[in-house]
Amino acid sequence: MKSAKSNGYIGQAIKRVEDPRLMQGRATFVDDLRLPGMLHAAVLRSPHAHATILGLKTEAAKALPGVTDVFTGAEINQACGLVPCSASMPDLKAPKHTVLAGDRVYFVGHPVAIVVAASPSIARDALDLIEVDYDPLPAVANPEKALEKESPLTHPDHGTNVAFTWLLANGDVDGLFAQADRVIKQRIVHQRLTPMAIEPRGCVASFHAGEGSLTLWTSTQIPHLVRTLLPGMIGVAENKLRIVTPEVGGGFGSKLNLYVEEAMCSHLAMRLGAPVKWIEGRRENAMATIHGRDQIGEYELAVKNDGTVLAIKARTIADLGSYLQLLTPTIPTLTGLMISGCYKLKAVRFELTGVYTNKMATDAYRGAGRPEATYALERLMDLAAAELGLDPVKMRLKNFPKPGEFPFHTVTGLAYDSGNYQRALKKAQDLASWDALLEQRDAARQAGRLFGIGLSTYVEICGLGPSKIMAAGGWEWGCVRIEISGKVTAITGTTPHGQGQETSFAQIVGDRLGVPMDDIVVLRGDTASAHFGRDTYGSRATVLGGTALLMSVDKIIAKAKILAGALLGASAKKIDFRGGKFWVKGKPKNALDWKRLAQEAYVAKNLPANFEPGLEASSFFEPKNCTYPFGTHIVAAEVERETGDVTIVKYVAVDDCGPQVNPLLVEGQLQGGIAHSLGQVLFERTVYDGDGQLLTGEFTDYSMPRARDIPEYVIGSTVTPSPSNPLGIKGVGEAGTIGANPAIANAVMDALAPLGIRHVDLPLLPEKLWRAIEEKTAELRKKKPRSQS
Amino acid sequence: MIPAAFDYLRPQTLEEAVNLLVQHGETAKLLAGGHSLIPALKLRLAQPKTVIDIGRIADLSYIREEDGRIAVGAMTTHRAIEASALLEEKCPLLPEVARHVGDVQVRNRGTLGGSLVHADPAADWPAAILALNAEVVTVGPKGPRVIAAKIFFIDLFQTALRPDEILREIRVPVTAKSVAYVKTVQRASGFAIAGVAVVVKAAAKTVSVGITGVAAKAYRATAVETKLAGQPLSAENIAAAAARAANRIEPLGDIHASAEYRAHLARLNTRRALGVAASRA
Amino acid sequence: MIIEGTHSIAAAPAHVFDRLMEPAVLQQAIPGCDKLEKTGEDEYVAHLKLGIGSIKGSYSGKVSLSDRQPPHKFTLHMEGKGGPGFVKGTSAIELTADGRATKLHYSANVQVGGLIAAVGSRMIEAAAKKLAGEFFHKFGAIVADAGKQAR
Repeated sequence: MKSAKSNGYIGQAIKRVEDPRLMQGRATFVDDLRLPGMLHAAVLRSPHAHATILGLKTEAAKALPGVTDVFTGAEINQACGLVPCSASMPDLKAPKHTVLAGDRVYFVGHPVAIVVAASPSIARDALDLIEVDYDPLPAVANPEKALEKESPLTHPDHGTNVAFTWLLANGDVDGLFAQADRVIKQRIVHQRLTPMAIEPRGCVASFHAGEGSLTLWTSTQIPHLVRTLLPGMIGVAENKLRIVTPEVGGGFGSKLNLYVEEAMCSHLAMRLGAPVKWIEGRRENAMATIHGRDQIGEYELAVKNDGTVLAIKARTIADLGSYLQLLTPTIPTLTGLMISGCYKLKAVRFELTGVYTNKMATDAYRGAGRPEATYALERLMDLAAAELGLDPVKMRLKNFPKPGEFPFHTVTGLAYDSGNYQRALKKAQDLASWDALLEQRDAARQAGRLFGIGLSTYVEICGLGPSKIMAAGGWEWGCVRIEISGKVTAITGTTPHGQGQETSFAQIVGDRLGVPMDDIVVLRGDTASAHFGRDTYGSRATVLGGTALLMSVDKIIAKAKILAGALLGASAKKIDFRGGKFWVKGKPKNALDWKRLAQEAYVAKNLPANFEPGLEASSFFEPKNCTYPFGTHIVAAEVERETGDVTIVKYVAVDDCGPQVNPLLVEGQLQGGIAHSLGQVLFERTVYDGDGQLLTGEFTDYSMPRARDIPEYVIGSTVTPSPSNPLGIKGVGEAGTIGANPAIANAVMDALAPLGIRHVDLPLLPEKLWRAIEEKTAELRKKKPRSQS
Repeated sequence: MIPAAFDYLRPQTLEEAVNLLVQHGETAKLLAGGHSLIPALKLRLAQPKTVIDIGRIADLSYIREEDGRIAVGAMTTHRAIEASALLEEKCPLLPEVARHVGDVQVRNRGTLGGSLVHADPAADWPAAILALNAEVVTVGPKGPRVIAAKIFFIDLFQTALRPDEILREIRVPVTAKSVAYVKTVQRASGFAIAGVAVVVKAAAKTVSVGITGVAAKAYRATAVETKLAGQPLSAENIAAAAARAANRIEPLGDIHASAEYRAHLARLNTRRALGVAASRA
Repeated sequence: MIIEGTHSIAAAPAHVFDRLMEPAVLQQAIPGCDKLEKTGEDEYVAHLKLGIGSIKGSYSGKVSLSDRQPPHKFTLHMEGKGGPGFVKGTSAIELTADGRATKLHYSANVQVGGLIAAVGSRMIEAAAKKLAGEFFHKFGAIVADAGKQAR
């Protein structure tokens, strides 16, 4: 890899080239687009969690001046196909996911009608004029209740609320549980979360009748997957579809989907012969953009008295909501795949039941199934250490695979590519001044304070992934071209939306080509320029997209050597290349640069025989394996006895994502990921009441972490390269979220441990902790009557 | 998030504003800082026919000492109160409470008068206004009217302000430094789950306690005040009195805090606020 | 959501019970009610304009009574919808003699949906109690006035 470092960009904490335009308000988002003759759509949504639509009157709305038309399910569902879901469990029962409700709505926010008008305000006014006669039906919002016999059915024709079952079993689970000295059992709730990207969704569709082609600008993470999937819904061929993703204000998985509004706007642009724009409101975003998490698991860990973990069992219910989005059923299966974590377990049984309820669909949200696995397992490890009277650090060390055991084959069937879990743990302990921290805890406890230390050692699955495990290809594509001027354009099939790959990809390409970053433009998010791509999710973009670009650079260099050789009168083999210059070995003074070679390649008057003009190459990178970044988080937290408020006293995160292309971006991803976890652990939750009404429909009720909630982070790293790609990188987009949940929760639980509190489910709201503390304090008082005096 | 259409009027004087209010009656809403009204408009929870923007009326934003009291113009922003040296010196409870209102952006736009007339049961200001025994001055077609704080807040979002009146000024007494505001914040909205404002009058051996966020309207914790009247502010006395902070009220419960927890926080924050205020005496 | 309350009305239970069955009295007492029409035995349609602070809305809905056991108790069913959402509820109303007055206790199971549920959950209970309070206050006044006139 030494030649890749001629500029030394890789490894440097270079500020993001994207930032100036974003910070100065000069970036272009979907809502900034204004097309001539553009119409505006607004969607009428159900206020009921479950109801039959007895009648739907749109005449008054249609009569409103400025309204182009109003469409109901009866008028549009036939023309737009069903929303696709990529999952394929054998017993999966999938409802027909039409773009608008038919004669029944089954979640609050279910689209019922769409208005198209001359302005957004007229469209919004028209919504109030649509009369819907709903006959409310019993609804179910709790997935455990949904499994009871007398439960209302989300989809009565299924005869059950069970969507699918899935089993991951390996090894002699029963035998190992029989051999165990102890079985640690815990029921754990992974609460539902709302991704709340700062920019809600939105799209603009424009149909070009002459060509029969359609352009869709949409705030998505996956323009390429949309281009693959949308033809099945709107009947425009893939090669007549162009999907453009302008700037995207956050996705976190919530924009890793094809949504009904994208299909409806595309269809209506054709039907009405005018561009159609739809911009989601915050309340719509809260109720009709996918939610995350929402699993309930009964977990059992079989352990020996010496701390050896033998096997794990889990019975998990995943609340899918009322229908399936792109990956809905797949997400909780990732929990199963990662349930063995960093440990040498001998057997696993993970039973998963996907359940329909009258709520918004769940799908990928930062971490997507993996935070649930890490959180459950790391809670169990702490509970086990506590029950066995063992040091939680030693207990983990005892069960790690050794660095020499990689690739490590897990009991869940994965092959972890590389790892040194011991080193990351040690580094985190060093950064946390572990022994001093223990002393601090002792002193605080002596003083009667509730002070705890929490640990999580985690591994995640990233760089998704080899095509054999993906529904629609797990490769990535990249193209590099040296322009006639010698400037460089790199085109990626990934779709950065805040990750900063315009910077990191320029670093990778700049180093390999020996070209200044200023001369490189990275294009992304337009299927007309990025001809192929599998987009951005699962911490895959730098790992796979970066490699595809690197492969293309190497192809260009090989071609340029032939041209340089011809121009310098030597064979390509005799040409040396470094720092953007080509020369005949031993004659560096007579070097040619990219500018000269580009001119020759495109002016094409002095080309060698059979040499194609141009300097451009594209590549598909197909990884052999996923990557498995890992690390350790250590948290110290204090709980205020009288209020239940939690203060994070210390936060240390050591992440190993392999060599870092840009440490600033890595740290940014970790900081953001940990912030997401702080929210989930301490206060974030999506609340539906028992009737399926969404009570957290706005920022006034949905608590997001704010800058003031974020503690000082101490962030460190170790570097264990992945053998899965030439750069050795592993991905970092979700690491913070995957590692942090259990570390924070374990710290809080450790703080409460002296009171005999074993487990409190997330989020650890002050009132919940206060109640737990009050309850235990009252019990202790009863046990010690003398304290009554 | 698009409001229904409304007429927008921008009077230049208070008289003009009152006339417009009389003319349009209950179909009109006054726009002050807009931090309650604009969200309600955008959600279409409020759909007034007319919005009367009083933001351009001269001299509704001031903080000055008059006749031994401090007069604060109704359109004075939270931020101006937070930064007022005069208030810091003469009525430090107001700047202390201001620091707890929303966030910097909210404080830069939102106004004291706007917050008071909106009478959100979880807003910070009512606690302070009650504890200070403040007066509000209104102006209507029949001229000005002075209303004592303790009869100003009537119920949820309901005040003694008449539909044709505009809040013009808030008058607070000059106090010692022995005041405090202790708040448990609803972290999503920034409003109070339980906010307790305390004024300790060391010489008179009395305290006054205003509590917001706990019940359907902010209230004076008279049971606490009675218990402490004439008593030294020892930790024991404070604790015994604070235990009465939620007596005879019906605490609200919601997804952010149960009624029981709100009542607990009312008592706890009362104890803490009294302790802090006493320590400043 | 369960909303409960007790109100004292200065009249005997039998009188209170009878007056509660009179649409004209109810229309007067229900906050913002500008229409209450009888559509069947113990069934009414109502139209309400309700405002709490700047949050105002029009609602139309159905009210019906069941389980009538004069003068002790009855059950009130109501459902209404409007711009800000919908409300559906069932309330058990019990009357007991309290000297010469009546103690009226209501316990309502209320389901609120749509916008008000999504953004107003912290207010719903307080708002419902406020409206119930306004109703019984006004109802009490009507009943008391009628009592005075009768004397």
